[in-house]
Amino acid sequence: MDVPPKMLGMPLVARISERSTGLLYATLAAVLFLFSGIAHAQPADAALYATGEKLFKGNCASCHKPDKDLTGPAMKGARARWDVKGDIYAWVKNSSAYLKTGNPYATELFAKWNKSVMTAQALSNEEIDAVLYYADNYAPPPPKPGAVDASASTGTNDEGSNWPWLVVIALLLLVVGISLSGVRTSLDNAVREAEGKEPLPDMTTGQKFRQWAWNNKAFATILGLFVVVFITLKLWDAAWVVGVYGGDEVPHYKPEQPILFNHTLHAGKVEAGNLAINCQYCHSSAEKSKHAGIPSTNVCMNCHQAVAEGRSPEGTKEIAKIYAAVGWDPATLKYTGRTEPVKWVKVHNLPDHAYFNHAQHVAVGKLECQECHGPIDEKMDVAEQWAPLTMGWCINCHNTKDVKMAGNGYYDEVMARLEETDMGHAELKKYLEDEKISVRELGGWECAKCHY
Amino acid sequence: MSSTKRYWKDLGELHQQPEAIKGRENEFPQDLAIDQVLGDASFNGASTGRRDFLKFLGFGLGAATLAACETPVIKSIPYVNKPEDITPGVANWYASTFYDGEDFASILVKTREGRPIHIKGNPRFGLNRNPALPKGSINARINSSVLSLYDNERLHGPMKKGAEGMAASTWAEADKSIAAGLDAAAGKRMVVLTGTLASPSSAAALEQLKAKYPTLELVQYDTISYSGVTNANLKSFGKRVFPSYDLTKADVVVSVDADFLSSWGNTTESTWQYASRRQPGKGMNRHFQFEARMSLSGANADVRVPLKVSELPKAVMALHAHISGSGSGADAAMMKATESAAKALMASKGRSVVVAGSNNEGVQVLVNSINSILGNYGSTIDIDRPSTLHQGNDAEVARLVEGMNSGAVGALLIAGVNPAYSLPNADQFKAGLAKVPLTVSFSGYADETASLCGWICPDNHYLESWNDFMPKAGHYTLGQPVISPLFDTRQWQESLLRWSGSSVAYYDLIRSTWQQGMAQYGGLAEMFTNTWNQAVHDGVYEPAGIPAGVNTAVFAADVSAATAMATASTTGAGEFELALYTTEAIGSGRHANNPWLQEMPDPLTKITWDNYVCMAPADIERMGLNMYLGEQAPASLVTVKAGEREITLPVVPTPGQRTGTVAIALGYGRGANGEKVGRAACTTDHIGDFVPVGKNAYPMTSWVNGAVGYEALNVTVTATGDTYPVAITQTHLTDMDRHSVVKETNLATFLTGDKKAYNHAHELGVHEDVNGDGVINALDKKPVAEFDLWEEHPVEGVGHRWGLSIDLNGCIGCGACITACNSENNISVVGKDEVRRSREMHWLRLDRYYSSATTKESAKEDGLGKIDMYLKMEVPEESPTVVFMPVMCQHCNHAPCETVCPVAATTHSNEGLNQMTYNRCIGTRYCANNCPYKVRRFNWFNYVSEKFGEVNPAWDDLGRMVLNPDVTVRSRGVIEKCSMCVQSIQAGKLAAKKAGTPVQDGAIETACSSACGTGAIVFGDLNDKKSKVLGLATSDRSYHMLEEIGVKPNVNYLVKVRNTEEAAAHHA
Repeated sequence: MDVPPKMLGMPLVARISERSTGLLYATLAAVLFLFSGIAHAQPADAALYATGEKLFKGNCASCHKPDKDLTGPAMKGARARWDVKGDIYAWVKNSSAYLKTGNPYATELFAKWNKSVMTAQALSNEEIDAVLYYADNYAPPPPKPGAVDASASTGTNDEGSNWPWLVVIALLLLVVGISLSGVRTSLDNAVREAEGKEPLPDMTTGQKFRQWAWNNKAFATILGLFVVVFITLKLWDAAWVVGVYGGDEVPHYKPEQPILFNHTLHAGKVEAGNLAINCQYCHSSAEKSKHAGIPSTNVCMNCHQAVAEGRSPEGTKEIAKIYAAVGWDPATLKYTGRTEPVKWVKVHNLPDHAYFNHAQHVAVGKLECQECHGPIDEKMDVAEQWAPLTMGWCINCHNTKDVKMAGNGYYDEVMARLEETDMGHAELKKYLEDEKISVRELGGWECAKCHY
Repeated sequence: MSSTKRYWKDLGELHQQPEAIKGRENEFPQDLAIDQVLGDASFNGASTGRRDFLKFLGFGLGAATLAACETPVIKSIPYVNKPEDITPGVANWYASTFYDGEDFASILVKTREGRPIHIKGNPRFGLNRNPALPKGSINARINSSVLSLYDNERLHGPMKKGAEGMAASTWAEADKSIAAGLDAAAGKRMVVLTGTLASPSSAAALEQLKAKYPTLELVQYDTISYSGVTNANLKSFGKRVFPSYDLTKADVVVSVDADFLSSWGNTTESTWQYASRRQPGKGMNRHFQFEARMSLSGANADVRVPLKVSELPKAVMALHAHISGSGSGADAAMMKATESAAKALMASKGRSVVVAGSNNEGVQVLVNSINSILGNYGSTIDIDRPSTLHQGNDAEVARLVEGMNSGAVGALLIAGVNPAYSLPNADQFKAGLAKVPLTVSFSGYADETASLCGWICPDNHYLESWNDFMPKAGHYTLGQPVISPLFDTRQWQESLLRWSGSSVAYYDLIRSTWQQGMAQYGGLAEMFTNTWNQAVHDGVYEPAGIPAGVNTAVFAADVSAATAMATASTTGAGEFELALYTTEAIGSGRHANNPWLQEMPDPLTKITWDNYVCMAPADIERMGLNMYLGEQAPASLVTVKAGEREITLPVVPTPGQRTGTVAIALGYGRGANGEKVGRAACTTDHIGDFVPVGKNAYPMTSWVNGAVGYEALNVTVTATGDTYPVAITQTHLTDMDRHSVVKETNLATFLTGDKKAYNHAHELGVHEDVNGDGVINALDKKPVAEFDLWEEHPVEGVGHRWGLSIDLNGCIGCGACITACNSENNISVVGKDEVRRSREMHWLRLDRYYSSATTKESAKEDGLGKIDMYLKMEVPEESPTVVFMPVMCQHCNHAPCETVCPVAATTHSNEGLNQMTYNRCIGTRYCANNCPYKVRRFNWFNYVSEKFGEVNPAWDDLGRMVLNPDVTVRSRGVIEKCSMCVQSIQAGKLAAKKAGTPVQDGAIETACSSACGTGAIVFGDLNDKKSKVLGLATSDRSYHMLEEIGVKPNVNYLVKVRNTEEAAAHHA
């Protein structure tokens, strides 16, 4: 059955309505998109606007926003503000030099913005004009379809879960079959009555079935055997995936998270409109520790101090949750000191008594994160357990993967030792029968590699 | 020749008692534990019928199945703002210092996610650093101290004495009330009573309080007193100091009752120094020990002479007579007994050391005189840069007690000591305490003294505190906190500063004290931050330019007066003489609440969870008391009476104890009046009463010449007729009567270089002409190593092959490896009752074998006939020799356990490890039955459960914080055993792989090897041609335990070599 675990316990009706909520959101989003598309007025000089945007993103965006205060003031209207008060070009090019001229507006600005000097910018007057044009004509981009609301995509992989319908149909067929057999009996009796024979004895369906079975012993036995074997096999299969929440056979574990963090948006490819942040930017301990590590909230703030708005109102709401956790007041752009750690729900739970070390696999084995965590950067808005994390899955990989030995002095030593002794040489020959040295051959199947 | 001795591990075995033989043959001697479960009386009244039972069973099964289908919801909560140096999953090590008034060590503390979980010696800096290894030497008390941090019975905040006993209070109230109390007491005597205050900054804090209250004075009280030594040095050299010793320079060590390997002086220093001179070869020292009780030092001595307590001062006098050449008046028998020691000393002038354990000033003056004549000052003994760790002055303590009783003392602040428990005149102290208007204790527990004080202002645990120490001039160490205070406690120095009106934090005071102090050594003020940071990192700071010690010691004491004083302590001996001592595990009793220490078997008696009367087997036999102890054979209870003082304890036969003497360990019986002194100090006994562990023997001490005396010469011992069960591991799980378990020889034989003479490989006869004499007969033999029943594991040259080498010469039996293993591998504490049933869980045990000094060879030299020889070998209790042997899983390459496991739960790795997989184990225990070394342990119960909550630290949420997160906590029904710290091996390999280099020798250590400051346990890769362990494993002294069974262990032992050839001559 291909239903996310959180849905398993729901009555059918609720589940259907959940799906329709998803549909509803999608529709709403589409409508919103349409409207926003219409409402989004194009600036008069598109070329200048584009040049300005490019320059802004390259030079200014780390401290300024077009329409909002950040480290520095919002840039929209800057030209108007400066209009008569001073030379905005000189100010942008080298603000500290300009300050020395004693311009009162410059001094005021300097005092207002925490007495921090803006970095000198190597821009020409024309380029400054372009940036200011961009800022003045800036309109927030429309929300992108697909990135509307992470919650809408929670139900992505429940398609194809149609066997409840099959059961309903089967039950209906059974009822129809029983009714038809009743009809047939009545008809038979009617015929017999017409022929003047005794009516058939009044038998229940069960009695009839037993009689049929008695009359067709061989067939019934074989059928019975098939049924028993089928049920046993199904139970056996089911037992294999008890406690397994990933892999091909069960719906993936995908718990609801306190913040609907969108992995695809952050780590996905730029071509697809995503940000392509390296996994280890946030999961930085993956190459140092056994844990990949859930990033502490201050890591989020490295970007989200500047990025306060999501691509949708819902996204903005989620970003606000980070601010609540880390104690950041986006209005004053200051930390309040009131923090509340985010209580993420752990997605990947190893079976008990198993030791796993990320560093071994990432730093030494040089595996890509996706090899175990699946296409997390492509189609996992909300993280889910992709691999089954069963021992069978672990050792399959250990059996086939070759050890990344090249350029690692540790393995050079292992090889040197193997070649030194007869016993070692014989072993090495065995290893190289398939022309590679697998993890298993270097002991990757031994109990105490993972259990201690 | 190699020694053909008879080894025995207890008297039952020696005398072939049927109980002992039966016990030996039955590794799991009990009926199934189910008897105990069903024996529970509460089950008798149960009314559950069979049908109900089946219903419950069915429902339970169904519910469990359903529950298994539920997706677990586990929260994962990251930091809001991650500290830079913490990576979850990666351990951080911090340098710190341990000092509790008894032991001093520079340590490294391992923390995981901010929790300290393991302690080892600092391998790079500190007095306890063995530079040859390099490793920091520590003992069991030090590495177990991490557990006491997580004791829920520590006070959670300040306490105030009210009408109904102690009640919780607040710091604000405490500060206000105590400040008022101090003001009220101004002008009267105010005393701060501490243990030895070796901390310069604590002294500075005290000075600040003294500036406000000029009548404030410091009284230092050492729980185990060294006043006799320091007073003797005052008389001898004009300095009231405890000298520092350098045993690395001593060719001859003579100790009269000083257990310098376990309790006397700065043991973390003396153990590694001593062991560094025990390497067999030309530089091996010779050690003479004169004592009444078999101590750890005595067990290691080359020559041990058992003497009565009253004879010990006479032995010192006799030694003095020998050395000084004025033999008149000395006891003739003692002159003879000390002759060979004196001869050895005279031959090693300036390269020897004499120490005495007595707290008698006269005895110590004589010892000083001997050392002075021998010219040992300036070489092995340094009095110019003395140890500052034993500054206690008993006379001042006595004066304080008087002052308290006379009403002269207006305020008493007590830090780090527990006089109401440990003083000989504790009753007087308690009476006096009630008369002092303001009494404040800084104890972390409401202990014997604190619970009588007006206020308890609980101190932080030392792992939560900043502190500094100067254990000797020019050597500074820092203690740094590794965790924030768990409870609402405050460091006592901080409290002093608050009450002095200062707002300086103690940390800042330490920094400023250091900054000022460094100026004295010409340190640059502007460089201070660098120096300070380096000192915090290293834990130790040794300023350059400290002049080396100049020998200015000129002995100037009145020897005849000292002789008279010493003689006075030899008179009035009665039927029995009593010596009081401290054990390796519990020490002075400060750590009696630590379950790891309580469950650590005493190195010699192998008894856990109790103190007892040590008595010579001959005396036990004479008095008709129980000689053979075991699970079903309890010990006899006796009352030991010295004047008015008496104590009733079980009596234990201890081979090596001088007849006519008894010995009792101090430090037990904590919390006897219901004080909450920590979780494990009191336990529920076998009949369900809540009782302290052991009995307090401090009341048996007495004041002698103004110092505390630890002996009584006229005591009576009477049997009460009752018995008492003792939990003794001695007869459990060890194997005997096989001659390749322990191998030993003497130095002369070893120096011949003929391996066959002392380490002959076991051979089997073969049907081929091996020796080439043309006949196939019994002389044709091949070494066992050449036979193989099994197919060989591919080990040589294939990856790693981890191994341990254990030097029986280096092992002094201290047991630090046992507690280090407990801490690293989450080993369950099971409690006295379970230990008594042979169910202790220690992965590493320390076997102790006794043997007679008589060997077949020495008997031949002594001209004994065959019958006499065997008779003499059979009566070794007088003074047996001792071998300590750490035994853990031997990681056999042909492991018998692996072949019998029906579920392949124990398998062999290609790195030479014998792996134990708990998930697979179904608990058949076939492996344990088939193990020739008896190193496998079975989890009879779920020890992490309420039933064991009293003793097992892992039971409550706080205690669980000490667990090593990399090691599984085992549950009921599985076998466990030494994994050779596979978690450390894996971590070390990973570090090497990440760095892209081969694993460096010494980079990976097991818990036992890193705890072994004497270097007896060496871990490494036997496939690494340059490794130290391979060098040892292939050395001439190397042998495998039970080599003849051909299991090819990866653990090897090095033959014990004793420096005894002259001793044999002397005895003849």
